[in-house]
Amino acid sequence: MEPRTEAIYNKNIAITALVGILAALLLAFREGVFSPVPIYGSLIFIVIMFVGHFLTNHLFPKQDPALFILCCFICQLGLVMLYRIDPESAAKQLIWFGIGCLLYFISSFVCRTWIEIKVGPFIFFLVTFVLLASPLIFGVERYGSKSWISFGNFLFQPSELAKITFSLFLADTLKEHKIEDSIKFFGQIFVVLGLLAFARDLGGAMLFYFAALIIIFAATSRLDLTVLGLIGAVVAGLLGYQFFGHVRVRTKAWLNPWEDVPGKGYQIVQSLFAIAEGGFFGTGLGLGRPDYIPAVTTDFIFSAFFEEFGFLGASALIVVYFLLIYRGIKISLTIENSFLCLSGLGITVFFGIQIFTIIGGVIKLIPMTGVTLPFMSYGGSSMVMSFISLGILNGIIMRALGGEADG
Amino acid sequence: MFELLSRTLRYVFIVLIYYFLYNFLKIMIADLRGEKSQPKETGFILLDENGNKYTLFDINTLGRAEDADIIIDDPFISSKHALIFKRGSKLLIQDLHSTNGTFLNNKKITRPLRLKENDEITLGTKKFKFLRGETVGAEDRSYLQ
Repeated sequence: MEPRTEAIYNKNIAITALVGILAALLLAFREGVFSPVPIYGSLIFIVIMFVGHFLTNHLFPKQDPALFILCCFICQLGLVMLYRIDPESAAKQLIWFGIGCLLYFISSFVCRTWIEIKVGPFIFFLVTFVLLASPLIFGVERYGSKSWISFGNFLFQPSELAKITFSLFLADTLKEHKIEDSIKFFGQIFVVLGLLAFARDLGGAMLFYFAALIIIFAATSRLDLTVLGLIGAVVAGLLGYQFFGHVRVRTKAWLNPWEDVPGKGYQIVQSLFAIAEGGFFGTGLGLGRPDYIPAVTTDFIFSAFFEEFGFLGASALIVVYFLLIYRGIKISLTIENSFLCLSGLGITVFFGIQIFTIIGGVIKLIPMTGVTLPFMSYGGSSMVMSFISLGILNGIIMRALGGEADG
Repeated sequence: MFELLSRTLRYVFIVLIYYFLYNFLKIMIADLRGEKSQPKETGFILLDENGNKYTLFDINTLGRAEDADIIIDDPFISSKHALIFKRGSKLLIQDLHSTNGTFLNNKKITRPLRLKENDEITLGTKKFKFLRGETVGAEDRSYLQ
């Protein structure tokens, strides 16, 4: 790494730490009396971030440090919001952040030394299938979809892990840049989508559908399939509107939330009020009313952030997400091995669609779907899996730059 | 008191967030410039039958057209005949839907293929050899002696 770039990266680490400390000091005085809990949290965060950054930089000189810094920054903002809304879940989130960093490190390492496992696409499909089918059998129902497995107090969403295996499956099938056995291939994709729809995780099904569409287009450059896919999406949307009650509710709430403010439109209306309250500069940290917004720590954390940091802060956050996706696409473009290139692209695409879906949902650009905002929403499996996916991306770039065996 | 502090600090937060962004955009622009700035030599060359050398860059178009990177005057060669480009650390050759086709070691190519040292490329009636730059440079010096 050039010294100048390194200096910039270090500066950005310092900014992230500074934002955390300032916010923690402010929040410590929020109740009128001094409570040091947010300060401890911010110090622990800083220690994990510094250790993570310098350790990975030292051990992997060829890594892309920007990935880690960008997601630390987003986590920092998310944690600040959580400490402000609900310190208890913030403490849990901090633990998840630590575990996530560790797994980021491990998955980078595994991926770098990963000698092409020739398992073939079918094994990837099978793993995806098992992951998505398991909650149907052992799962518990939360938030209207049966896609969670509970281990004691801890809820895990296998579809988060399935995103990774599904991108690997697509990349492995399409690495020759053509679809060999189209009936089998599309059959497998529809089985995956069917499992998601069966668990009534329609947001997830949409995510997988569009990710598959984009990766197929990137791999084969076939416009006809893309057009067909888009038509299919419209048809699926109409069918979903007909047959799934909560799709209809969500769509109606999106088209006109003011029709039923205390009922169906409540979430989105509160979110819009919060955003309107924010204005350009926001109300200031701790002065908004996030307690009026339902599901504010998970789905609607962006609205809470918008209220207190304003339009300027929120648009900057969106640009940070864009930068993350830009790095991912740039990494994919520099790679010659088409399997690794497509897996990197797949992971990035999943991130991109997920961010667009949830941010678009809370600002009423598109109908609301319950997916998490990566790195920011409260939630263990989302946080951990986001870190693992980025770790894989980081491992891929290290393999490419390290010039290890590629074919 | 808390209200006043919070209202003041929100400007600080926004300045910090934008400074963070500015730093990253600087890196991003430097990245994009670095990729676009003058084409980098790859260390490989093409040698034709008359001993003319063509240095290969990251992206080279071959053809009759005046704006092709490597201009070859031959009636059997299309205006934009073929493309030699770098991907990762390797150079690949691709036919640009030319009328008479591009041949690598006497086999017609239909998809981008990797070039190896001493490969023979045939465009129309012209033959080229794909060589590492240094080997030819050494030969040159031997000519001088």
